[in-house]
Amino acid sequence: MDLLQQLNLPLAEAAEKEIGWNIFFYSGLVFAIVLVFATLAKKDLKNRVFTSLPTRLAEHLYLFLEGMTVNVIGPNGKKYVPFLLAIWTFIFTGNIMGLLLQATPTADWSLNIGMAVITVVYVQYEGIKANGLLGHIKHFSGPKLGGFMILVSGLIFVVEIVSECMKLVSLSLRLYGNIEGGHIVRSSLDSIIAGVPIGGLLLPIKFFTCLIQAFVWTILTCTYLSIATSHGHDDEHEGDHGHQPALTEAHA
Amino acid sequence: MENIAIGIGLAVGIAGLGVGIGQGLAANGGLQGMARQPEAGKQINNSMLLALVFLELVFLLTFVLGFLLMGKIH
Repeated sequence: MDLLQQLNLPLAEAAEKEIGWNIFFYSGLVFAIVLVFATLAKKDLKNRVFTSLPTRLAEHLYLFLEGMTVNVIGPNGKKYVPFLLAIWTFIFTGNIMGLLLQATPTADWSLNIGMAVITVVYVQYEGIKANGLLGHIKHFSGPKLGGFMILVSGLIFVVEIVSECMKLVSLSLRLYGNIEGGHIVRSSLDSIIAGVPIGGLLLPIKFFTCLIQAFVWTILTCTYLSIATSHGHDDEHEGDHGHQPALTEAHA
Repeated sequence: MENIAIGIGLAVGIAGLGVGIGQGLAANGGLQGMARQPEAGKQINNSMLLALVFLELVFLLTFVLGFLLMGKIH
């Protein structure tokens, strides 16, 4: 009974008592798990046919993310897959930890906003690399307008900068709200009957949320990347013609 | 004190109602499109997920607001 009550300790209270150290420990644990998984998966890479389970899992994960990236960005989106894979693995492992252990690193807003800063800065970096610094800044001011309509371009520029900053808030808040919301619902269900963890019935849907949230972060990063790295209107149509569905099917 | 508690309940309830209807409509459109054109399923699926995510953000903003207000009850 004592153990059950300890497990059902509301996470909000636990976080208030020990500020900061929980998140370092649990995110370190996530890093360790991901590192061990990657090391195990790397061992089998030199064989012609992958036989070990971690390698096959990693292969499927890579192909899934690559298919999604090619679908959203186009054939030249393959170079962004390593970053997306890293983000996906970290968020998914962190989310899953909340189902088994007492605390989740991704249920902490500070870690999420850190990850959002990394994501947005990476998107800006790729945008500058693709269009040059001036081209990237011009990207914010919308379509080319002549005459005194240039005032409207300035307005669009300001709005775009604000929306760029709001990406930080929306990315981090989405993950935080989903994971922490699940924990709050779980702990309030648990407190209906003392000692009986009814909230455990929520495990399947919480697992689904973990999967979806990791997926959502990567697909949003893909969308931001495809907006930031597109080259104006003429090249966009070229990109559409170059988009070959056969390419994705060959990998699936 | 009670006003805040009633307000949190109302806010989360109404937001859940609206977002539920909105997400249902979005999923309805996406699934119908996928049933009519299975070959475009992957792209429709991606766009539908994006739409669902942006709708869900409205609810999450309300949720976080309620969570912040909950600290004022004690």
